[in-house]
Amino acid sequence: MEKETNIMQSELSIQNDKRETAFKILRICLRVFTYAVIVFGAALLVFPFLWMVLSSFKTGDEATLRFTFFPEVWVFGNYAELFTGTDFPIFKALGNTVLIEVSVIVIGTFVSAMAAFSFAKLKLQHKTFWLLFLMSGMMVPYAALMLPQYRAFDAMKMTDTLWPLILPGFFGNVSMIFFLIQYMRGIPNAYFEAARIDGANHFTCFLTIMFPLIKTAIAAQVIFWFVGIWNDYFAPSLYLTSRDQMTLQVLLGQLNAGTSGKYLPMALAGAVLSSIPMLVIYISCQKFFIESLAISGVKG
Amino acid sequence: MNKLENTAAEERTAFPPPATPKTKKKTSKVERREHIIAFLFILPPIIGFLVFTAISMGFTFVFSFQNYFVRRGESEFVGFQHYISLFSGMFTPGELGNAFIKSVGNTLFLLLSLPVSIALGLLLAGLLRLGDVKGSKVFQVLYYLPAVSSAVALNIVWRYIFQSNGFLNNMLHASTPWLSDDTLIKVAIVIKNSLNAMGGAMILYLAGMLNVPKDLYEASSLDGAGKVRQFFSITLPMITPVTFYLLITGLIGGLQSYADSQVFAKGDSGAATIVFFIWQQRTNGAAGYGIASSASILLSVCIMIITLIQFKVSNKWVYEE
Repeated sequence: MEKETNIMQSELSIQNDKRETAFKILRICLRVFTYAVIVFGAALLVFPFLWMVLSSFKTGDEATLRFTFFPEVWVFGNYAELFTGTDFPIFKALGNTVLIEVSVIVIGTFVSAMAAFSFAKLKLQHKTFWLLFLMSGMMVPYAALMLPQYRAFDAMKMTDTLWPLILPGFFGNVSMIFFLIQYMRGIPNAYFEAARIDGANHFTCFLTIMFPLIKTAIAAQVIFWFVGIWNDYFAPSLYLTSRDQMTLQVLLGQLNAGTSGKYLPMALAGAVLSSIPMLVIYISCQKFFIESLAISGVKG
Repeated sequence: MNKLENTAAEERTAFPPPATPKTKKKTSKVERREHIIAFLFILPPIIGFLVFTAISMGFTFVFSFQNYFVRRGESEFVGFQHYISLFSGMFTPGELGNAFIKSVGNTLFLLLSLPVSIALGLLLAGLLRLGDVKGSKVFQVLYYLPAVSSAVALNIVWRYIFQSNGFLNNMLHASTPWLSDDTLIKVAIVIKNSLNAMGGAMILYLAGMLNVPKDLYEASSLDGAGKVRQFFSITLPMITPVTFYLLITGLIGGLQSYADSQVFAKGDSGAATIVFFIWQQRTNGAAGYGIASSASILLSVCIMIITLIQFKVSNKWVYEE
């Protein structure tokens, strides 16, 4: 009896050993597979950027007629032409983009924060109604609005100026309002009550107490807004037709539209230049970008 | 009614109420002031909404029933004619009707990148989570890179990769006409968009997976479930809200795609989307403007329905705590 159980046990342990080594091999295979897939995917995504940079240093002929991986000769002419040439005024485009960014973000943020303050802290009548009222605007796609808006701006002789891109921003940003309402609700009312007793009016309360308190929340929203405006192509491309008025993205589109291969490396150089500021912002705030994205998905 | 109120008002003035209601009236005055100020604070966004959204959309609706003569600046009412002509291509082959139907087909085809990117994102997230990959944060940053980059820049370089003597054909020693074939150009866009969108999906799935209660895994491993089994019967059902969110936002964005047609395809009809059709059609004669408007109304109705579904349904048929 004893012998038998001993034999059985040793058989069992051999089986277990075999199974364990099999598992180990399987686990190692899985690991290798996992890393292979993830590294390959990352390489696929990073490659276009690498390719963009490499090809922006090629001559037009090399980029379009022959095929080379690294530039035969590193040519800086594409960048030089972008900087000095008059065909594609990239500095003008940069100025236009920054002008839109600054005016829309400064005024739009102020207006949004003020509205959020009213929703969060003041005795606003029909609060829910107005909130839903503004929220309904988030449902409407730009495609439903672009034709009449274009016609209206055209009638005011504002097409091919920056106004159609700046003016709507002056009236605030609904998603920013919602975000700030949530944030402001967490700030104790006592701050404002004390100030009210001291005779401060609502606007002073907003400006001197609330505004400094929500600086970080605003900064977070501003980063998103900045990136969004910078990369925006659709509306600017509809309105801006002369090269002096174009934003960076629209000018890039123009560079691309020039069908002759001569412009291709220049377009790529432009793409590199316009991507650099966003890359810097993204890399330096990467944690923030990824965390905010994750939160948006979890909230639904 | 008025008379009654008047008499009531007279009564009030005739018999001034005692002290307590008076102070009440005073605070209500302060309150009314606050009501007004509070309203003034939210006035700019309301005006913005009215002018740039409500009235604009109303006009689109009106224009969709009209012919518009640009030179004369006149309009004429034509009823549902434009809506009918949008769909005429389905029954009688006509150039205009066909263009719309084709653009709808193109847009739907391009939406294929949605399931592909969601599946890839899920795969990547699953691998990162199950494999306990080192440097997972670095990969997240890399994978999300295309989402924060300019669509124009990406389109330029991807077009360059796909072009006849571009990187892809040279690597594969092939001469696939990616950019000149009606179907292949859409396949190329689907590939490009799937890759560019999978990082966002991956990060959302990872966040969703972290939110799944740990005791579920503990309980199931006591019952003898392996990691893979757990992934399919616990993780996957628990992260349906993420899938739903990705589907809805992807649909809303995808239905409005424009840069793919304009920048990547350079206006090639094989990849003309609905929004591209609308913008092109706008200047196509007196009827063109109306047809463009009716197409944008139809598109907007679809998008609004999808958004409403998101608002309403998201917490009903999807698992949420």
